[in-house]
Amino acid sequence: MAANYNEKPLLEVEGLKQYFPVSKTFTVKAVNDVSFKVYPGETYGLVGESGSGKSTIGRSIIRLYDPTSGKVTFDGNVISGKLSKSTKDKLRVQMQMIFQDPMASLNPRKKIKDIIGEGLDIHHSYKNKQEREEKIEAILAKVGLAKEHADRYPHQFSGGQRQRVGIARALIQNPKLVIADECISALDVSIQAQVVNLMKDIQEETGTAYLFIAHDLSMVKYISDRIGVLHLGHLLETGTTEEIFSNPIHPYTKSLLSAIPVPNPEFEKNRVSVNYDYKTSGIDYDLGTEHLVDGTHYVKCTDEEFKAWT
Amino acid sequence: MSTEKKKEKILDIKNLDITFDTTAGKVHAIRGINIDLYQGETVAIVGESGSGKSVTMRAAMGILAKNATINSGEIIYRYRDNKGGIDYDPDLDKDAQWKETDILKMDKAWIRKHINGRRMAMVFQDPMTSLDPTMSIGKQIMEGMIWHYKIDKKDAWNRSVKLLEEVGIEDAEKRMKQYPHQLSGGMRQRIVIAIALSCNPDLLICDEPTTALDVNIQAKILELIKKIQKERNIAVIYITHDLGVVAKVADYVNVMYAGKIVEVGNINEIFYDPRHPYTWGLLSAMPDLDTDEPRLYTIPGSPPNLLHEKEGDAFAPRNAYALEIDDKKEPPMFEITETHKAATWLLDPRAPKVEMPAELKARIDRMKKEAENNGSKL
Repeated sequence: MAANYNEKPLLEVEGLKQYFPVSKTFTVKAVNDVSFKVYPGETYGLVGESGSGKSTIGRSIIRLYDPTSGKVTFDGNVISGKLSKSTKDKLRVQMQMIFQDPMASLNPRKKIKDIIGEGLDIHHSYKNKQEREEKIEAILAKVGLAKEHADRYPHQFSGGQRQRVGIARALIQNPKLVIADECISALDVSIQAQVVNLMKDIQEETGTAYLFIAHDLSMVKYISDRIGVLHLGHLLETGTTEEIFSNPIHPYTKSLLSAIPVPNPEFEKNRVSVNYDYKTSGIDYDLGTEHLVDGTHYVKCTDEEFKAWT
Repeated sequence: MSTEKKKEKILDIKNLDITFDTTAGKVHAIRGINIDLYQGETVAIVGESGSGKSVTMRAAMGILAKNATINSGEIIYRYRDNKGGIDYDPDLDKDAQWKETDILKMDKAWIRKHINGRRMAMVFQDPMTSLDPTMSIGKQIMEGMIWHYKIDKKDAWNRSVKLLEEVGIEDAEKRMKQYPHQLSGGMRQRIVIAIALSCNPDLLICDEPTTALDVNIQAKILELIKKIQKERNIAVIYITHDLGVVAKVADYVNVMYAGKIVEVGNINEIFYDPRHPYTWGLLSAMPDLDTDEPRLYTIPGSPPNLLHEKEGDAFAPRNAYALEIDDKKEPPMFEITETHKAATWLLDPRAPKVEMPAELKARIDRMKKEAENNGSKL
């Protein structure tokens, strides 16, 4: 993979906070002081259970939400504050999103070619109709669909094919970063593998970076160069895939890894998953600071905890 | 399970064949299925979406959609005649009289009264849609008990609280008064399990019980079902497409493809000695945590549309090992051992010798070694 760590990071998230006020006295702190970087051409996996804030981070970065505080820099432009017209246009082209449920994210009343081509229409990215059609055809071929599919409607496709349409829509603008929000969770195992392979191939060809949001750790391991583990809105541990899987430090990461089911019945019989309960663990995420384990491996905890765990 | 206890067969699905009438034509969803199940055992049905796993189980519970036609087959359900009580009685099996009926021949009202909930209960995939948002948790758990066993409200309340504690929910009294939207996904699924167990069933059908949940909660729910199964000696059927889950819970595995069972065996036979190319594909497509292979194996193509019937083996177009005969004639079930059978022409004595893909073989060898290091004997 062509991840380039010597270059400037493509996406830099610093101290991102995303709060949702529910009532006068109660605010949901969905994302709490999260910082990470994504380099050009790499895949950064964000994992965590439901409600950990992983989707919220993706949505805050692409500005579907307005971040409460923190700084997000994308390709040299700050995109967390007020957006100027030119920055907004650039952001809307160069950062794209693939959503979880391919049926819910495709307009049922539009043809595939119009779904894929909508972004081109809005940003006037073609000179004439023929160029538009050529672009759509090329992208369909890239995601493994045929030319004839362009005139069909979403309901005429299977789940895996629909997700390919979602990928085609995200890729047609040649984005620098694609945020893939649980984009394979709704698919069957064998189709998941097809989509993951496709995403890898496209990355090798175009050098697109992915922010891959998922709760399935085994798939994340396959596709990611680096991983961030989220829990309750805190980024607890981050490092290369190798570092996280071979040397997990945080008890939550350990419990996550121990819960991955393995297709090995005799092994599963004797395996006990590590239990982790935030309430009884005595860990207070708010007190933690970033500690370097080694290389690029960081864990968020207090000094005493760090001593005890390593 | 103690070995002296005689295990009774409780479910026997024979040659089941179902079509659905749709506006687009007839869909031949189930094409001759045989499954049997004994007390206290766990059977997993594995396959892609649309392979007919859920339809089979809905037929067993008599809750098929109205446009379904049953062309042939029997679903024999065996039950104790003397089972009356709502409490699990470990001595019940001692002098039980076993009766059997064909569920397909019974009318809806009879099934509703004697089978649904009372003897066979189902845990559905999505706990948000299977719970009623307008009814309190307590009311939903009590509903079945009061209807089936005519117990009074106070008794039902106390039993519900006990059930909630049993499935690992704290503050049970408080939860009884709450509504589904006030609980997290894992909690909701526990409630659904509590409801399923409330009427003391002999058979629990879990339709993708953990697909909507994340790994931590998934492990807890699976362990919970296992524990309850052991305590009450109930049989469990898992419907899933996750082989990791199957490895954790099942005794026997049925692999389904396009409305047929293509391979059946006990858990070790399926995972350590798979014979059908589709099973090979499913196992290979699971991400392997121990290798650095850059690409995942995939089964090319997508599941067939059952609207159009195909001559020969339905899996042939996606099968790299397909033989000429696969396009002409459907393979029968070949017996490998007493429990292990697979429907592929590769097992015919006249077929060329084909080994499973080398990567998969290496992976299985590694899995075996890992298991042996953990103290299992293979």
